[in-house]
Formats: sequence, structure tokens, C-alpha cells
Amino acid sequence: MLEIRDLHVTVDGKEILKGLNLSIPAGEVHAVMGPNGSGKSTLSYTLAGREGYDITSGSILYKGEELAALTPDARAAKGFFLALQYPVEIPGVSTMVFLKTALNAQRRARGEDEVDAVKVLRLVREKAKALNITEDMLRRPLNVGFSGGEKKRLEILQMALFEPSLAVLDETDSGLDIDALRLVAEGVNAMRSPARAMLVITHYQRLLDYIVPTRVHVLRAGQIVTSGGPELAKELEKKGYETITGAAA
Amino acid sequence: MTVEALPRVDPKTALFRKDFAANAADLPGAGLGWLDARRGAALEAFALSGMPTRRIEAWKYTDLAVALENDLEPATPFRAEDAAAIADSAVFAGAMQIVLVNGYLHSIGGAGLTDAIDVVDLAQLSVRTPDWVEKHLGARAAGSDQILGAASLALMRGGIAVRVRAGSVDLPPLQISVVNPARGHGVMSHTRVLLVIEDGASLDLIETHAGEGEAKGLANLGMEIVLGENAVLNHTRLQDEAGGTLHVASIGAFLSRDSRYHVLLGNFGGRLSRVDMNVRLAEIGAEAHIRSIAVLDGERHADVTTVMDHASPHTVSRQLFKSVVGGRSRSVSQGRVTVHKGAVRSDSHQMYKALLLGPRAEADAKPELEIYADDVVCGHGTAIGALDDTALFYLRARGIPMEEARAMLVRAFLEEVIDGFAEGDLRDALWRRIDTALASAQGGAA
Ligand SMILES: Nc1ncnc2c1ncn2[C@@H]1O[C@H](COP(=O)(O)OP(=O)(O)OP(=O)(O)O)[C@@H](O)[C@H]1O
Ligand SMILES: [Mg+2]
Repeated sequence: MLEIRDLHVTVDGKEILKGLNLSIPAGEVHAVMGPNGSGKSTLSYTLAGREGYDITSGSILYKGEELAALTPDARAAKGFFLALQYPVEIPGVSTMVFLKTALNAQRRARGEDEVDAVKVLRLVREKAKALNITEDMLRRPLNVGFSGGEKKRLEILQMALFEPSLAVLDETDSGLDIDALRLVAEGVNAMRSPARAMLVITHYQRLLDYIVPTRVHVLRAGQIVTSGGPELAKELEKKGYETITGAAA
Repeated sequence: MTVEALPRVDPKTALFRKDFAANAADLPGAGLGWLDARRGAALEAFALSGMPTRRIEAWKYTDLAVALENDLEPATPFRAEDAAAIADSAVFAGAMQIVLVNGYLHSIGGAGLTDAIDVVDLAQLSVRTPDWVEKHLGARAAGSDQILGAASLALMRGGIAVRVRAGSVDLPPLQISVVNPARGHGVMSHTRVLLVIEDGASLDLIETHAGEGEAKGLANLGMEIVLGENAVLNHTRLQDEAGGTLHVASIGAFLSRDSRYHVLLGNFGGRLSRVDMNVRLAEIGAEAHIRSIAVLDGERHADVTTVMDHASPHTVSRQLFKSVVGGRSRSVSQGRVTVHKGAVRSDSHQMYKALLLGPRAEADAKPELEIYADDVVCGHGTAIGALDDTALFYLRARGIPMEEARAMLVRAFLEEVIDGFAEGDLRDALWRRIDTALASAQGGAA
């Protein structure tokens, strides 16, 4: 599904990703862990196509297609989804209108029929319920005045609505209480499928108790320095990045 | 008249003075003592300051003298060819409509006027002119603080006085359509509108300005608004002049006890526009809300300058201005709020924001506050910037293409101004106009 080879990315003239390799086959869930500033969000923004994240060399193949030339909206239409570490507040745009606009923009780009307002509403309500998102939140301006946890749950709602083939969750667990964490994990697990791949970025083993990853990778200073099974996350939790990556280097 | 005695006159100022010298005897109402006196005072106020340049503080960002052509001829009234332009101007179904062509009263149409409303044609002033016109015409928007307003009174060729009788409520909206059809060469019009809303009366007013043709010209309007006790005026102004036009509107509003004035100033067209608005919260409990929206494409200049006088206790003013500036356009928002001595418990707020769509767009915002009373709540703020990259990225990451995402954010920016002001047909009409302007402004900025 995703094949990243020797990726170098520069932000504001500073190289942040320095030869990153990562491969996620369809049907698998991979986790990336790494200290603050190691480049995790940089990786997720680069995958989403954010301006200012310049790929200086290497390649990103998604379903065999090079992503670099695609706009963020084209990537979304092709089934790429990023749950942001810091979801953005947009005053003046109601959450419901945003969801409908986004869903239909993706469908239009794929040459599919648009979904009418009533049907979108039904679809959203059904998914919102499972994530404990209220009607009131859906009426309010997008993310404005939402608590940290509410914002993260809304990201997961979007993932459920758009049904992407590749989803990257950038620290979706941070700021969640235990109940919300469970809801989010259930939301993610419900979407596991042989046709879908996911990349879960996190600092905490706790999330991986709920979402058991196929592989765990450690990102440090812009490179994947070690990879392993789910037990690697437990080991990291116990010993810290210094020992693990120090030993692996 | 002592005008000839004044020294050294620049050609732009001379344009007006020559017009007056040549035509004074033929101006409507010439010979009426009360009007001659007010005209004379207005001409003197204009002549003393001359055509505004940036040397005048209130015109710091807008040099009218430079923009104005000096070979403009007085605009002429209705001709048969103007019919199409007039037909286009009736935008509000169910509204009473008064049409002015080049500043002259042309027709009263739409749903017709109710008995609660009196209209006087200012081109036909005579000794039989009603007292309420004589009492108010030229009392406001005609002094040295609104220089072009003074000129509009001195050189007035026509216009209307409208009265809504005391206690009249639930009237259909009134549309005043000012249409400036093409004349094939540059023309100038000087028009006055007097609006008196008597005690306890209420009106929804929609004032539209539309033009035709590419010729450079001046549409100069002086507007006086008098609100009686408990009167309510909801005033929407849509300035949609042709691309060569300089649109100058001097508006003076007087608010009696517990009256409310809500206005939305929409500026979309013209080469240059200047709305010079003075509001006097004259009596206790008066309240004024000024909202402004400018959406500028190409190379336009839109200046809204306000003076808000809190002259009595418990008066309230709110100002919320938002400009979306594309191309090489420039938006100017200036406002001075003065809380006069004794106007205790006054409450005022000003917020001026501008969104720049491209690197060559410009905006200036200058709120000012002078307080001479105790126990008041006053605040102001400004924000000028480009669209938020992070928000744009977020929308695009959700599949919304660039142009659509930009439009969504710009609409969201303006939503706050329209929200709580306009509903139904008016709201739809505002958004239609905004969307058209945005499509063009965004295209030009890309
Ligand atoms: N605009 C920028 N200019 C220069 N350096 C930047 C810029 N943006 C990010 N960086 C740097 O890039 C590095 C990686 O940042 P990134 O946000 O990818 O880290 P992260 O692994 O997601 O961290 P965290 O765990 O705190 O979320 C950091 O050192 C950061 O300071
Ligand atoms: Mg991060």
C-alpha cells in the first residue's frame, strides 16, 4: 500500500527526514514511535502533501503511484487520510457543512455521485454516535471551542466517514481520557480490513494495547532506526529511546 | 457669495466652483431663503478646504483630488436608453422602489408606496415644500467635517426627501435604487437624500448604487438620516458602481432617544469609493451598529471612514468591518469614536479586519478613541492578514480543492458580518453579490 524509500525532506531549509524507509502492506497496521522532534509529524505532513515540506530526494509510492506530484486534495480523493496531531479550528464553517463538502468533494474527484444532505446527515449521525459526538458539536463551527479530546474524536469520525485506504493517525491518543481512548481505538479497529493500511503515530504503549500493531518502528533524527513486532513498544516503554536505539545503532 | 474672493484654486476645486458660478440660479430651490443660506454655507465649507487631498487628516488614505478628472460635465436625467439599466436595478421582490437616475428622481415603482411614506422630489423644491423638509434638509452631511457632503448640497441637482410617519411599523422594505446610466463621457452628479423616520416608526431600507459604461465620473451623494424617539432603521447599502466611477457618499445620521440604527455598508464596485459616515448618538439610549463588507477585485480603492459621537448617556455603538482585498486593490477602514462629556455609561466597540488575497493587495485600518466621560466601556481591534495556511491545508487534506477551500474560508470570514443582520431574500441577495465579487477577486489574485 505504502512504500517509502530513502526519503529526505526539508522544512524551511532544514533537513528533517534524512533517508527514511518504511513499507506498509495492505491489511497491516504499523506504529511509529519516536522522541519529540524526531520528525513524526513531518512524515505525516509530507505524506499529506502539505506545502513547505520539500522532498529533496527519495520516493513515496502509494498503491504504486508516486505521491509527490499530487495536491493534498487529490491524495484525499485517492484514499489517503491524515488525522492531525493538532486539528485546526475554522470559525464560520459549521462542522456538518464541512463534512458534507469534504465527502462530496472527494466523491466528485473520483467521478462518483454526490451524496445528498439528508443521507450525509444520517451517515454522520450513525458514526458520531459510536464516538460519543453530540449533535451540538456537529452544528458548531469546525473544532471551535472543542476540547482536545473532542477534536481527536472528530478526526476519527472523519476517517470513518471517508473510508480511506491508507490512514495516518498522528498522536490521536494524546489528550484523550481512558474512555475516549477506548472509543477511538474501537473506531480504528472497526476499520481494520485486508484492503486498508494504517500508520499509528504515538508516544504511548497504552494505545497499542488497544490497537495491536503488526509492526512497530522507531523514528529518530529523521530515520527509522529500528523495527520489530508489538513487543518492541513494550520494551521502549520500559527502557526508553536512549537504550533501545542506542543499542540498535 | 464670497467665493471669488478666495485665493488660489486648484483645477479640481475649480470644477465645482465653476459649476456653481454658472448654474446657481438654475439649481432647484434657488431663491428660497432658507436653502440659499444653507447652500452658501456649504459652498463656503467646501471652498475653504478645497477638493480633499491626503493632506487632510480624514482623507489620509484617499486622494480624491488626484483621482478626480477635471473635465466632468453635470450628469443629465433619464433618457429612453436608460430603461434596461433601471430594470436591472430592481433586485428585491415585494419592496417599494424609488428610482433615481443620475441623481434625479425618476420613478416610484415596485410595490408602490404605502400611505405611511411621503416622498418629495428635491428637484422641485418650492415655497410649498413641506416643513419637515425645510427643517432637516442640509442640516447634516453638509459641513466642513464632510466636505463632499457639503458640495453635494451646494451643487444639488435633485434627489429625494422621504418621511416615514410616526408609529408606522411592519412596512414592506423600501429600495432606493440609484442608477447611473452611461453618458458616453465623464459626468458628475450631486444628489441629496433626506430620510426622516418619525417617533416609533420602523423601516428596512435597501440602497443600491449601480452604474453603466466605462467613462470616468463622479457620483456624489449626501444623505441625511433623522431618527425620532424609538425609531428603527435597518439600512443595507450596496455600492456596485461601474468600473470608472468615483463614488462618494457622505452620510450623516442623527439618533434621538432610544432609537436604533443598523447599517451594512457593502462596497463592491467603482474605481474609488469613499463612504464618509457621521453618526450622532444624540439622546439617551440611542444605539448604532455599523457593519461593513468590501470585496474588491482588480484595482479598486474602497474607503469607509466613520465618526461616531456618543453625545448622551447609555448610548451604544458597534462597528464590525471586514474587507476581502484581491488584485491591486486597497481597502481603508478608519473610525473615530468620541465619548463626549456627560455621556456616561457609553458602550462602544470597533473591529476592523481585512483579508489580503494576494501580494499586491493592501489594507489600512485605523480605529481611534477619544473619551471625555466616566464609566464607559470602549474597545477596538484590528487584524489584517492573508488566509490562514493551516486552515487551508486542513480543508485540502480533506479533499476540498484549493479554490473551493479558499472560497469557504473567505465566506467564513464574512459570515459574522451578515449573521444577525440580514435574513431571507436580503441575505441571499447579499451572498449572491459577495460570491460574484469573490469569484472575480480570487481569480485575479491567483
Ligand atoms: N518550519 C520549521 N522550520 C525549522 N524546523 C522545523 C520547522 N517545523 C518543524 N521543524 C523541526 O522539525 C523537527 C521535527 O518536527 P516534528 O513536528 O516532525 O516532530 P515530531 O516527531 O512530530 O515531534 P512531537 O512528538 O513533539 O510531535 C523538530 O526539530 C522541529 O523543530
Ligand atoms: Mg508531532
